[in-house]
Amino acid sequence: MTTNASITRRLTVSILLLELFAALALITTVTNHERHVRFETFDANLRGTCNALLGAVQEADSKDGSVQLDLTGMSFPSRAIYRVTVDNGQILGARGTLPSISVIPGSVTRTKVQDRPFRFYMLKGERVIDPGSPGAVNHHVTVIYGVPEGDTWHAVFEEARFFSIATVALLGITTLLISWLIRRFLLPIRELAHEAEKVSAERWTFHAPDSSKRFVELRPLASAIEKALARLEGSFQQQRRFTSDAAHEIKTDLAIIKSSVQLLSMRRRTVEEYEQGLILGLEDIGRLESTIQKMLALARLEQGPKADRETSDLAEIVEDVIVQSQPYADIKEVEVITENLQIGVEVLLDREDAMMLFSNVLLNALQHSSTNGLVKISMMTDRETVVLRIRDYGEGISEEDRPFLFDAFYRGDASRSRKSGGTGLGLSICKAICDRAGGSIGIANHPDGGAEVEIRFPIFSRIARAT
Amino acid sequence: MRVLLVEDEMRLAANIVAGLREAGFAVDHAADGLEGSQYAEQDLFDLIVLDLMLPGRDGKGVLRSLRQKGILTPVLILTAQEGKTPIIELLNCGADDYLAKPFDLGELIARIKALIRRSKGAASPQIHVADLQIDTVRQTVTRGAQVIDLSPTEYRILEYLAHKPRAIVSKKQLLEHLYDYDWEHHSNVIEAHISNLRRKLTQPGSEPIIETLRYRGYRLRTEDWR
Repeated sequence: MTTNASITRRLTVSILLLELFAALALITTVTNHERHVRFETFDANLRGTCNALLGAVQEADSKDGSVQLDLTGMSFPSRAIYRVTVDNGQILGARGTLPSISVIPGSVTRTKVQDRPFRFYMLKGERVIDPGSPGAVNHHVTVIYGVPEGDTWHAVFEEARFFSIATVALLGITTLLISWLIRRFLLPIRELAHEAEKVSAERWTFHAPDSSKRFVELRPLASAIEKALARLEGSFQQQRRFTSDAAHEIKTDLAIIKSSVQLLSMRRRTVEEYEQGLILGLEDIGRLESTIQKMLALARLEQGPKADRETSDLAEIVEDVIVQSQPYADIKEVEVITENLQIGVEVLLDREDAMMLFSNVLLNALQHSSTNGLVKISMMTDRETVVLRIRDYGEGISEEDRPFLFDAFYRGDASRSRKSGGTGLGLSICKAICDRAGGSIGIANHPDGGAEVEIRFPIFSRIARAT
Repeated sequence: MRVLLVEDEMRLAANIVAGLREAGFAVDHAADGLEGSQYAEQDLFDLIVLDLMLPGRDGKGVLRSLRQKGILTPVLILTAQEGKTPIIELLNCGADDYLAKPFDLGELIARIKALIRRSKGAASPQIHVADLQIDTVRQTVTRGAQVIDLSPTEYRILEYLAHKPRAIVSKKQLLEHLYDYDWEHHSNVIEAHISNLRRKLTQPGSEPIIETLRYRGYRLRTEDWR
């Protein structure tokens, strides 16, 4: 499934969303605060104007002992409403229509006048005429003053609008900057990809660009690609070598068969010559057949773990293999002895593969034994593992060859000489069998001379058997 | 003609040796590169058939050291390797021809003959000498319509001499090129073969076609070259 998901886009969107949320929160907070401060000022103004109005009553000269309202020097906002009354409801001065509301003295009351929100403030005071004199009269003055909230709200919204526009501008700039920055930061990844793209079956070299090595986050990726490619190259080359070696092997066998037949048909021959030629030809075909069979066995084994769970008794297999290879041991005059073979140790290996494994190893040991030699097979077990050691007393293996002994077609000679008769696949097959069963195989020189093959398997089960 | 085969695969070598001997060549066999180099550097051979993958020293190494030592014997490479690059490289190293395994034995023999012919300066498989016509493919000698019956050794002597007209060929040289490594055992019979050949080829009343130069060797008569 391919989608057009893009890290750049996602990061940009994420950052912008975060920024947007932050801006919204900021705008809300700021607006709230602004509203609060503005209305505090608003209320203070209300109180102040009320006080001024009261002052205008208190300061005005009295005429004939009556109370006056002197508005000189005072100005009011256009839609302001006020009413100044004295004692019994006598109106000293008013502006606008005051709604019939109950206003608690000394507090701000909100109400609507002609669908406009207003705030009113009521102040009660006294106007003493001729204070200090015995004939002083106390007048109770009530001042109600109200102003529409609209202008303040407008100012608050203006503020919010400014912040919103600033946020949008900021978001725009951020979008540009972020996508440019992300692109810059992702450049090493693109360079890495570009370098990796150059890799093909013909060209395996991969040098992580310096840019990708500079960043802590990219270093593991670069080195992982390098290592993975090195491993791939190794196995690819091994595969290629195997194919070319296999082709070489088959072609050589075919060349023998073809030349045998052509030699026979070069001229008319005696019946004996034809018979001899046929026998040799059959031998040649047998060799080709065994090469191909081994290649197929190896291909089958290397196809990965098998599904079936057949087990074999190792000691039984070893005994069968010894019996089977007795004729060859007799020819070579080599004695095969066993040590501590324990019947009943089962490993996860089918009988056919187990026989192939041990006969290959034993034949190898016999082949490298000198006449009148000895091959010793010993077995050791602990709770989980069984170890089989097959030791010969031949000339041992050279240290040069050791790393390659399990490689296909390796014959311990750069020329892959076929003189010894082997195909060079035996040990590779053994290794494939062991790997597949979760075991291992190794070969080393014994300190007292000769080579020793060590085969390890995890024990699948132990079966008590009457022997 | 004497051919050296350097091939480590014994069964294949046996077949090639048998095939070449039946085709009338003297064949020596070396089973590894070092032995092959030693043989080849004696410069006794009319052609070398060289396998590429050899123990000791690989075919390319053998070829290279041979050419470095100034030995110009034609070399035919046998290879089971894939790809054209190694072949181009080999031809550039001084190989004259190559055959890929599995090859055709008949083709191998034909190519060997062609290479030897060319190295002796003849392009045609037919050699005309005096009034004789030698067919190097069918290995027959005719005078006009008459086929002259020669034994294989007699034919080989005649063909070798015919490749070196007017030149004096020593008895040793003849032996070296007609027989393989145990040529010295044949040294006594060479005179007999020459005398038989001379008797079969010479028409009554005319000069013998093969001259014997005392202590020096043999020479094909040159007057009647066409």
